Amino acid sequence: MTASAVAHVVVSGLATGSIYALVALSLVIVYNATRTVNFAQGEMFMVSTFVAWSVARAGAPLGVAIVVTLVCAAALGFVIERLVIRHAIAATHWDVLIITLGLSLVLKAGAGIVWTNDEFPFPSYFGDRPMAIGAVRVAPVSLGIVGASMVLMAVLYALLRFTRLGRAMRAVAQNQTAASLMGISVPRVFSAAWMLAAVVGAVAGVLIAPVVFLSTKMGLIVINGFIAAVLGGFGSMLGAILGGMLLGVLENLAPLYLPTSIRYSVPFLVLIAILLLRPSGLVGRVERRKV
Amino acid sequence: MRRAGLVGLVALVTIVWPFVVPPYVVFLTTLILVNGIVAIGLNLLTGYTNQLSFGHAGFVAIGAYTGALVTIHAPDMPVPFTLLLAGLVTALVGLALGIPCLRLEGLYLAMATLAFGVVVLEAILNLDWLTRGADGLRVPPPSLVTSGIARYFLVAAVTVVMVAAAMSLVRTRTGRAFLAIRESEIAAQASGVDVARYKTVAFVVSAFYTGVGGGLFAFVVGFLSPDGFDVFVSVDYLVMVIVGGLASVPGSLVGAAVVTLLNDWLARFQNYRPLIFGAVLVAVMLFMPGGIASAAAGFNRLNRHGGLRAPPTPPIDGSGRPGGAVTPLE
Repeated sequence: MTASAVAHVVVSGLATGSIYALVALSLVIVYNATRTVNFAQGEMFMVSTFVAWSVARAGAPLGVAIVVTLVCAAALGFVIERLVIRHAIAATHWDVLIITLGLSLVLKAGAGIVWTNDEFPFPSYFGDRPMAIGAVRVAPVSLGIVGASMVLMAVLYALLRFTRLGRAMRAVAQNQTAASLMGISVPRVFSAAWMLAAVVGAVAGVLIAPVVFLSTKMGLIVINGFIAAVLGGFGSMLGAILGGMLLGVLENLAPLYLPTSIRYSVPFLVLIAILLLRPSGLVGRVERRKV
Repeated sequence: MRRAGLVGLVALVTIVWPFVVPPYVVFLTTLILVNGIVAIGLNLLTGYTNQLSFGHAGFVAIGAYTGALVTIHAPDMPVPFTLLLAGLVTALVGLALGIPCLRLEGLYLAMATLAFGVVVLEAILNLDWLTRGADGLRVPPPSLVTSGIARYFLVAAVTVVMVAAAMSLVRTRTGRAFLAIRESEIAAQASGVDVARYKTVAFVVSAFYTGVGGGLFAFVVGFLSPDGFDVFVSVDYLVMVIVGGLASVPGSLVGAAVVTLLNDWLARFQNYRPLIFGAVLVAVMLFMPGGIASAAAGFNRLNRHGGLRAPPTPPIDGSGRPGGAVTPLE
């Protein structure tokens, strides 16, 4: 195993990790605003990717397809929040957990009925020929995924840091009561969070679909996104990104060094180990609570 | 008097039931009771003690494989011992998982238990000299329990014991400690509850119940394969507990019945099955917040005056912020 081969694996690990990070970010965005873990996030991501595929197949140029997809994703997020989640606002977290699980079943089965459960190839926007950076050969698609994810993360950071909406979202994440007393419309922030999360998820879907085939099973990635978010410390954006990258690299490196019999367990064993050492994730803070 | 009459009626129906309904219904009833035992086990941990587990299918698998392997290698072992062994082995694993998990709470605990479930599956796949891996393991009928009706009575008897034990447990000092931890770990500790000890106890008892349920599952289904114990099965058990009602033993049985029957009844709809199942989940939680048990309690309150109101559930993220504390201003 040469150093450049390892570097190649690490780069593709970072690409997978970027996708996990984006899914983790969309979970964290919803969680921070509404204190809800959205188990339907993976299915929302899958449905958005299918929309992109349908639009592209109808003959629209790729750019148009992506714009349409992002709009549809935002609409889906808005509708789900407005029609279902908003009505469970007074419910316990347990109830909301079951509701999002139910939604994920509905979306997955619905997608299966509309698009069938087959696997479809998804058009790629990056070339197939490996590029050489020094002695390291990397697939353009890996670089494209990492690059696009970085750009999206930067946009998200700017949005949350510098815009009025971002400030409102951070305020609601800190304290809903205080935020609403300051005149922030909490329901509007809820809507915005769901739409934003759906859009981030849709970008992740469109990025990863050319690498893995498009199918209704894609939504399962939410489990890895969940792991990434918890690994980093649930609620922390930086943690979600770190956790995603770490998980992606580990998953890609483990098969190189470990016998087949345990390679699939490794990310999970590492997860347990990290949680035992740092019970609130890599960058999570232990919340101080009052009775 | 009314209570004694009710118990007598239930006992009578339980005994007559397998002789008057078709064999398939007997099988379904048996499956409901097995799932009910697992759901009660999960409820003791998740509902009573507020420790979310996404890995109970792993415990079921350990119990089921233990039961199956004992039956294969020691065919003369009396069934109660086999089940006890399945429960004890699983409880031991629960102890081994529960102690390190004391450091975790909320979503972090959910994640660690999910990882535990995956690792158990991988272990079953890779220990193929013992478990026959992905090929699956055929479970021979244990001694004396060879017919569907015999299996039904075995499961029913075990269920009665387990339900009675759980209903008593939750009324003891231990049960009150569980509830105190659920409401607030800090307050529980301040009141002298040994939080670490009782959380471990909850893990062990929950694993024991789940292991016994797993052993029965092996006998009832007769064939075990690792893909029957994936994460979605863990989610199914959670659905039973939450739909039935957290911190309610009868609720868990009702939840198990609802999920098992719904799964069976919806099989005819093929592709639409998960669609309808998901829609039912959403509807139940929207219109019956707190699950069936709390809806039934509300109905009872309307009929009778007084009665205990179920305390609100703290959030799963362990932040101490109750779920619906903030009603946003329109």
